[in-house]
Amino acid sequence: MSEAFLSIENVAMYFGGLHALDDVSFEVERGSVLGLIGPNGSGKTTLMNVVSGVYKPTYGNVRFNGKRIADVPTYAVCRLGIARTFQVVKPFANLTVLENVAVGAMYGRNGNRRGARASFERARELLEIVGLARVAKRNASDLTIPDRKRLEVAKALALDPEVLLLDEVMAGLNATEVEEALDLLRTVNSRGVTLIVVEHLMKAIVSISTTIVVLAEGKKIAEGAPAEVLASPRVIEAYLGTRYAERQRAQREAQA
Amino acid sequence: MDLFWQDLVNGLLVGGIFAVVALGFSLVWGIMNIINLAHGSFVMLGAYTAYVLFSNWHLDPFFSIPIAFVVLFVFGYCIQRFVINFVVRAPILTTFLLTFGLSLLIVNFALLVFHGDVKGITTQYSGSNFSLGNVTIAWVKLWTLLVALVITALMQLWLSRSKTGRAIRAMAMDIDAAQLSGVRVAHLYAIVFGLGAGLAGAAGVLISLSYSLQPSMGDPFVISAFVVCVLGGLGSVQGALVGGLIFGVLEAFGSQYIGTGLQDAVALVVLLIVLIVRPRGLLGKANA
Amino acid sequence: MATAPPNRGLGGITGNANALGVTVAALVLMAFVPQLHSGYYENLGRGVLMFATLSLGWNIIGGYTGYASFGNVVFFGLGSYTAAVLWQHWHQQSIALAVVCAMAVGVAFALVLGIPILRLRGHYFGIATLGIALATQEIVSNIDWLGAGSGFTVRPLDAYSNYYYAMWIVCAASMLATYLIARSKLGYAFVAIRENEEAAAVLGVDPTRYKVTAWAISAAMAAAAGAVFAGANGFIDPPTAFALDNNIFPIVMVILGGAGTVAGPLVGALILTAINETLWSHFPQIHTLFFGAVIVVVVVFLPRGILWLFNTRGGWKGIAGSLGAYRV
Repeated sequence: MSEAFLSIENVAMYFGGLHALDDVSFEVERGSVLGLIGPNGSGKTTLMNVVSGVYKPTYGNVRFNGKRIADVPTYAVCRLGIARTFQVVKPFANLTVLENVAVGAMYGRNGNRRGARASFERARELLEIVGLARVAKRNASDLTIPDRKRLEVAKALALDPEVLLLDEVMAGLNATEVEEALDLLRTVNSRGVTLIVVEHLMKAIVSISTTIVVLAEGKKIAEGAPAEVLASPRVIEAYLGTRYAERQRAQREAQA
Repeated sequence: MDLFWQDLVNGLLVGGIFAVVALGFSLVWGIMNIINLAHGSFVMLGAYTAYVLFSNWHLDPFFSIPIAFVVLFVFGYCIQRFVINFVVRAPILTTFLLTFGLSLLIVNFALLVFHGDVKGITTQYSGSNFSLGNVTIAWVKLWTLLVALVITALMQLWLSRSKTGRAIRAMAMDIDAAQLSGVRVAHLYAIVFGLGAGLAGAAGVLISLSYSLQPSMGDPFVISAFVVCVLGGLGSVQGALVGGLIFGVLEAFGSQYIGTGLQDAVALVVLLIVLIVRPRGLLGKANA
Repeated sequence: MATAPPNRGLGGITGNANALGVTVAALVLMAFVPQLHSGYYENLGRGVLMFATLSLGWNIIGGYTGYASFGNVVFFGLGSYTAAVLWQHWHQQSIALAVVCAMAVGVAFALVLGIPILRLRGHYFGIATLGIALATQEIVSNIDWLGAGSGFTVRPLDAYSNYYYAMWIVCAASMLATYLIARSKLGYAFVAIRENEEAAAVLGVDPTRYKVTAWAISAAMAAAAGAVFAGANGFIDPPTAFALDNNIFPIVMVILGGAGTVAGPLVGALILTAINETLWSHFPQIHTLFFGAVIVVVVVFLPRGILWLFNTRGGWKGIAGSLGAYRV
């Protein structure tokens, strides 16, 4: 059996009596965009934490290019090729935007090959890509919310990742900003970076994902192409409740 | 073997004092996240209050306890409200340094007023003791322990039952929510700090009964208060009590078997072991 | 707000270039103090250089990395004793050798203790380091071979002024090291840890490795200063080697000058020494009292240090603004 790119194998995460994740398994294809959705509290961020090595799973494994993520300390995960953004964005407040990204370029996957000057060069390139070149010399604490999110993405990209995990990067953005964010993600994906995107905005997820995985109460309840997943009654039931799902079914039967 | 029991008893007796000192320290640390390096100087002020009242008006030190408590409470309230409050939300280094500077001020002021020579309080009952088996117990030390226990119990009652006590505990959990609910945070912070100082003052009086006084006498108590808080856990009255008693016993055994010169080293080793193995302390809450 | 010019806070991680230039000039001027042939000024200047070195050391672990050590005097003390032992017991003659050995001892101590101790954060780290300093002093007091509680004298090696130049070299080297670190990847690792240790780890910075490195560097600086001090002082005993002043003053100096900058420590050392000397000569009885007051004033009104005034607009208004920033 050939080595899967990124495989989540029977991952369970228990916090005492709380089963945040229960027997979740799926595979991620290289170059794809995987949308991870589910109602609040379904375990999406927990799963992100497990995949990025912040949590060690209680059971199960996450394997990336054959290597178990849990075996690697947090600071070494980025050297495997996995990077992530955080829901609550906290940049290095007393450093400039450029310096924030440069740190990632210095210590990320290709950091060993870069000196300080080369790292700043790389940081400048990345700021161009995400659209932050105009505020490069500004203190990170002075940025607007959309710009802070861009900074998060730039810092993650500075690690030269193969896989980028984006945790609710569009929260708090208006419609225009969401479109801009989606464009940025498409650009990043077109450069060969595999994306796993956690989002609440359905339209955004559908427009960008090649595959969707749905979590509810810690379990995977659906996986597949966006259209079929969103039409699945189980998914509708998880989001909108049993009574709504039944009304839908009744409506459909009445029309048939 | 007799020495063992004697040390144990001595340790427990002095442990009550450590507990009261640590309780004040723990309140300020737990609720305001301030490590008050001037705490020892408050202890010293309490001791000198008793000394002044005793040598001028022959007031028995046990009656000085409430007086010292009130005096130090007011002193602490003012210091917090008018000085420390400016940096109370600053990074911890700032408050650390500020309280250090305050401690320098207070100790040197005391040096000016009382001079550096060693003073003491000798009452009629100072030397009397009784025997329990082969162990000698000084009456003063026993009374000291009992008073310490009473103070601890009163503090616990007040914190859990009184309106102010509950407001303080709410504030400790979430300061912004408390402020939005109308709690006057600046005033309550000052009350907490005042309480810490008052407790230190009361402990100072208790110390003056059995030990000699000099302006620098409070210094070792900051380290010991810290160790006790780590041992017993922050934010716990019972923790301060148990931690204080344990610390007293450890010190007694330490000075017996390792020699008095290495007390700090012993305290430090204990501290480091506890910090590394169980950062919450033996009885503490998880979010210290 | 979005159109305001960029506020670099403390001027990036090297600090305001003008302030740095002025400070370096001051340092160069100080090299000529022995030419004044005044014992008083030589002692004073050597004291400034010693405190500046201690401050530069503390600045690396406390200012840049954000781990406020309250026990760095332990490295100073160990350095003093190493040098004293080399000169007195083992009859070595070289200042340079003593400094190098002292630095090695300091670094070794930091490496061994650093790994467990640097896992602690904030207050816990501060008090743990304070405890280490106190405990080490006690232990040394009990070792007869080191002179126990009464210490021992150190025969002067050669010209007294050589100690001044040695201290100057140690200070200048420390400042140069700080400058190079601040401009290099290492400096950014330190600052990243200070700003957000978890985020730094996610970006590939191994926190333990870099924290221990920072502490080891600060240990080397403090130990080197201690070694030269032992020779200049001619006498070493536990209270002198582990003096509380040498522990706390550097912290105040760094805060006063500006933590996390290259020039801050020396600026703070110069200003605070000036204040201390003035107080000492005019109010010998209560100079410690005044010093406590100075600390209180500095901490309340200038929590980010003097260099901060040069980096933002509206210095005095800035102070008034910062008064409100941290209060409840």
